[in-house]
Amino acid sequence: MKMAALCSEFGDLVQIKKQLISVISLCKERGLLHSSKWASELAFALSPLPKDELPPSPPFTEDDAQDLDALTVAKSYFDLKEYDRAAYFLRGCCSRKAYFLYMYSRYLSGEKKKDDETVDSLGPLEKGQVRNEALRELRVELSKKHNAGELDGFTLYLYGVVLRKLDLLKESVEVFVEAIHALPLHWGAWLELSNLVTNIEMLKSLSLPDCWIKDFFMAHMYTELQMIKEALQKYQNLIDAGFSKSTYIISQIAVAYHNIRDIDQALALFNQLREQDPYRIDNMDTFSNLLYVKSMKPELSYLAHNLVEIDKYRVETCCVIGNYYSLRSQHEKAALYFQRALKLNPRCLGAWTLMGHEYMEMKNTSAAIQAYRHAIEVNKRDYRAWYGLGQTYEILKMPFYCLYYYRKAHQLRPNDSRMLVALGESYEKLSQQVEAKKCYWRAYSVGDVEKMALLKLAKLHEQLTESDDAAQCYMLYIQDIFSCGLEHAEVSTALRYLGQYYFKNKLYDEASLCAQRCCDYNDAREEGKALLRQISQVRDQTETPSADLFAPLSNNNTPVRRVSPLNLISFTP
Amino acid sequence: MASVHESLYFNPMMTNGVVHANVFGIKDWVTPYKISVLALLYDMTASKITLPERRRLNKLILPLQQGPDLTLGQFLKTVEECCPQTAYAVKLRLHEMADGELKDMEYFFSTLPTPFTAFDSEAYKTSVVGLFMRHMLLAYNKLSFSQVYKLYKSLQHYYHSHYAKPADGTLGLPALVANDSDMDLTSTEDTVGDRIDRDELDSPLHESELRFVMRFLDKVLLFVLPKNDSTPSRGPLSQKQAEYFLARQAYLLKNDENKALKPAALQEELNNMLKFNPDFAEAHYLNYLNNMRVQDIFLSAHSLLHYFDRLILSGNEGKSNGDEGYGRSLRYAALNLASLHCRFGHYQQADLALQEAIRIAQESNDHVCLQHCLSWLYTLEQMKGSDSTVLTEDSVKMAAHFCLPYLASLGIQSLVQQGATQGKTAHKLMDALKDTDILHWKHSLSELIEISLAQTTSIWRMYGKSTMALQQAQLLLNMSSLEPVNFGVQQNNTEAFAVALCHLAELHAEQGLYSAVSEILQHLKEQFPPHSQHAKLWMLCNLKIQFERHMNEGKYHLAEPLVTAMSALNKTEGLYRKAQVLKALNRSTEAYKILQRLQVHCEKSKCTEVVIRVMLSTAELHWESSGFSTALPLLLQALALARQHHLQSLASETILHLAFTQLMLGVPEHALSVLHEAIEPVLAHGSVIDKGRALLLTARCQMAVAGFGPNGHGQADLHLAALAVDTLNESAAYFSKLSCKERLRDVHYLQALLHRSLGQTSQCNKSAMLFRLLDQELQSPAPPVSMRL
Repeated sequence: MKMAALCSEFGDLVQIKKQLISVISLCKERGLLHSSKWASELAFALSPLPKDELPPSPPFTEDDAQDLDALTVAKSYFDLKEYDRAAYFLRGCCSRKAYFLYMYSRYLSGEKKKDDETVDSLGPLEKGQVRNEALRELRVELSKKHNAGELDGFTLYLYGVVLRKLDLLKESVEVFVEAIHALPLHWGAWLELSNLVTNIEMLKSLSLPDCWIKDFFMAHMYTELQMIKEALQKYQNLIDAGFSKSTYIISQIAVAYHNIRDIDQALALFNQLREQDPYRIDNMDTFSNLLYVKSMKPELSYLAHNLVEIDKYRVETCCVIGNYYSLRSQHEKAALYFQRALKLNPRCLGAWTLMGHEYMEMKNTSAAIQAYRHAIEVNKRDYRAWYGLGQTYEILKMPFYCLYYYRKAHQLRPNDSRMLVALGESYEKLSQQVEAKKCYWRAYSVGDVEKMALLKLAKLHEQLTESDDAAQCYMLYIQDIFSCGLEHAEVSTALRYLGQYYFKNKLYDEASLCAQRCCDYNDAREEGKALLRQISQVRDQTETPSADLFAPLSNNNTPVRRVSPLNLISFTP
Repeated sequence: MASVHESLYFNPMMTNGVVHANVFGIKDWVTPYKISVLALLYDMTASKITLPERRRLNKLILPLQQGPDLTLGQFLKTVEECCPQTAYAVKLRLHEMADGELKDMEYFFSTLPTPFTAFDSEAYKTSVVGLFMRHMLLAYNKLSFSQVYKLYKSLQHYYHSHYAKPADGTLGLPALVANDSDMDLTSTEDTVGDRIDRDELDSPLHESELRFVMRFLDKVLLFVLPKNDSTPSRGPLSQKQAEYFLARQAYLLKNDENKALKPAALQEELNNMLKFNPDFAEAHYLNYLNNMRVQDIFLSAHSLLHYFDRLILSGNEGKSNGDEGYGRSLRYAALNLASLHCRFGHYQQADLALQEAIRIAQESNDHVCLQHCLSWLYTLEQMKGSDSTVLTEDSVKMAAHFCLPYLASLGIQSLVQQGATQGKTAHKLMDALKDTDILHWKHSLSELIEISLAQTTSIWRMYGKSTMALQQAQLLLNMSSLEPVNFGVQQNNTEAFAVALCHLAELHAEQGLYSAVSEILQHLKEQFPPHSQHAKLWMLCNLKIQFERHMNEGKYHLAEPLVTAMSALNKTEGLYRKAQVLKALNRSTEAYKILQRLQVHCEKSKCTEVVIRVMLSTAELHWESSGFSTALPLLLQALALARQHHLQSLASETILHLAFTQLMLGVPEHALSVLHEAIEPVLAHGSVIDKGRALLLTARCQMAVAGFGPNGHGQADLHLAALAVDTLNESAAYFSKLSCKERLRDVHYLQALLHRSLGQTSQCNKSAMLFRLLDQELQSPAPPVSMRL
């Protein structure tokens, strides 16, 4: 079990592969399915070893030999989910493997019974009272052994899980760290630890073993803590180090891109993932979110049908179908499927939030609030649920009330322009123009996704008759739009305003340029022409020759940039 | 995603942690405790019980049915107190079930008198007992096989956990089995007669019943919820227990914070409750109140919003028409948010929230909510310091129109407060208060009665009628609570009580009864611990009293540090006191500057009382530079103001100043006649120091009139001189009460002077000696005796 000693420096892929192969068999023997799945996936991504390089099977002790029969029968009961039976036959075993399986079956039996109990409880009095009765005993036994220093990596991990289930979070963090030190290759322990780390300071304060798997953990943690840039960097390093074929890393990167709303990148990665691993269901709900955002109906439909064929009773499948119906504006059905997802796993955060969105679409605000609140209960850091609550109250025309929720969302995602724009809008409704301006400007500074912040800022300045500021904002807006090459509905408004503004300030060249551009848009054509006429009238009076003005400009895609008369650097809202 | 239990999710039938909606539909659940109650009811109908015992048991039924679940020990003890025989029978029946088999329990349920057949018994379907039994039977019949088994298991556990500690009951049980069988044989005919008797017996007891129930619940909760937090966190509470816990804590928070759990303990309790029952929205509200107690804006806002998010759900669920309950809570959510910001002094935020509430209320034509908004609006305006009389008047009118006596009289009280500071005539204010009092008593709005009494106390004190103020304060403090359910709270800790107690302390301080004052302050300190909302009141009061005391005793160096503390609590008061200290320390220029500033400020904010006091202080400053004639117009102005606002104590104070000025200007006769006007109110209502000062001044005027000039020549009027001696003696008594040594020294000096001129050498010597002693003790050079009041 001395895996820690086996830890070599990062980069020696052969060593890593050997370690993975041995840890896979260890996990399998103990029924730790998810950890062995993770390790196997990773091992699969590495090139195969020649026969003589395969790691030797772990040493077979006297104890193991003694318990072999009991262990075999218990393991088969365990695999069939007959936990009590497994525990019964493992009672007196003294080998470490058997002891772990014995404790683990007791734990799982308790969990299973707890879940069964919940269905037919004796009423609300008992609700929440239902608990895993085995936990207390397990804790007593394990802590005795722990104090005596008799626990190995796996039992430490189980002890940590038991502590966490008993809400002894601080102790459980310590035990998980200990478990990781004892057996760094057990991914389950890392994951449990990751659920307990709430902020970056805490992460930094942990003393973790210096092993290649730590990089995976850190990358995972950065994603969880919304430090996407760092996470992407870490994953890139891992890919460069030779894990380029790992589907796990690809999916994690895709999720990270999804979190920073780099949709195209994420979509490309997910498509790649689907090619490599066509029957994969994990993370497909995130993929469907992306397709939804991009309104790619046929792709989403294809994905939904495909997943239903693979396994229709998976949370992810239900979420995908829900998204599919939502995109088709069949919100009742969508909500139904999200509910089904929640029945499959009530702690599925995404489904709660998505259900909230569906209820919003159906104008059932109270149900939406309920769904969002549930999401927050599951995870307080779910910014979408906070944002959704804010939107709900905004729909209910309570701009002040929703400020709180938007602020919460903003706290969790300080660099997300959508929250800032929402905040700004609320402030605008409350006629708190100063705050609104700050929000819009900040939204623009952090990189506006929807390109609305500047326009709104400009309009706000326009309302406040701060024409210089308004013109600046419109100009920035137009530059922004043209540089992206997007079509935006409000460009004409901006051009119209700029034209008038230049005209008032007697900058006729610029004014006529804007007026000309105005004529490209249907809704502003008449005004553009009128302005041009006005300009020529004034010009006739003042006799300013400028015949060659339009020639160089007509082939310029971003004309305003050339004529910007104001120093943009000094711009402060 | 790889955590251990995750593997369980593959089973699609699993519903981990989520209780299905149909569970909420049923309110009643069979619990072991409920089975015990059923057993009790069964035995009551089945056995003969003497009338008084039956009556006691009958009174017990309702609280037992509706109260929280008890342990078997508590349950049996309660029943035993009423009727030991029945308690025994119940115990026996439970014993049969718990020590028997599952079929015994099933048998018990099948033998219960079915409410639909038993026409004659109390258990008929429409009676309270019958309804309960029906509920229980229904709930029992709905249980699935595994649930029945579980119920039986928990019944066994319930029974045996009581006998885990060996009690005498276990041994006695088998012996009495034989007796039990006769009881079962009794027919039900007897009970009919009993019932009629019971009805007759019970009818006059209705009033006391409620109290009984509450006391009972209180007792129960003492078991269930131990107050010290040393006990490990207990398991979940039942719905009723939780409700009672919340109601009790909320009540205590409002009325007697010290009896409520400590903030941290309460928070822990609530977290525990919410962990087991996250749908319990009211717990969030209590959490909000608790967070307000420790002035935590973040958590309180969080809890408040969470509560309303939850409420919106339940409101929608509960009402079939949906919109009413749902929209309503939205309005009140915004309103509550406004009040939250108001409490924390975020007036702009509060304003925005309030506007939102008003808008929503207007849109949905909710006049009651609008009315509440309006009352908050004027409160907010008042807090911001702007004049809100018009708004308040509107509010009162509208509240009266919509029959909201609470809001109406709250508005009137606020108007009275504004009117008092703005110099409305006293009889109008008193009339208004009397009218609201009628309203309060009619609707028994106990809280408003308290406020009204506290307000009257304050108004009387402002007018300088200390006796009346004292009487009103005592009235409030001795009033027994009118709340129907008061959880054993005698002394409330609302703002009204704080105000009254502070007035009481100041009144006692004025009379020099400092030991009483310290007792009152000690009580205040206990009742309103420093972190609580109203603690600032007594803090300021305490500082003022100490300050006055030090000033009177001439210990200016001790008074000075208090000023800083005072300014922290109340800027105006702090500034005024600072000026006083500076004046006493002869730093006149600085004092004058401060007084000027203060006067401008107070005239703007209409603090008439302070304006007058500032004028008096300024006049005193003028005296120091011998500018007696310049002080006169100021004093006259102050007098006019004081009279206009009916501030009697300040008016007499001003008259004293006037008289002194006149004395200094050499017209003691005028001074004496002016003094006559003031001496009566001062002696009747004034503080000890004022009395002493007034008498000293009178004596000096008398001496001056009698011809004892500072130089002491000419023929003196001996009769007047004797009078002056008496006056001086009296004032010496007052000053010595306060150990006001500087003034005492003056008195002794004057006494010596008088005695000498009257030829009473021995007395003269005595006074001179006293003067000498004091002079040595004080060490400071005596200021010219004339230069101050």
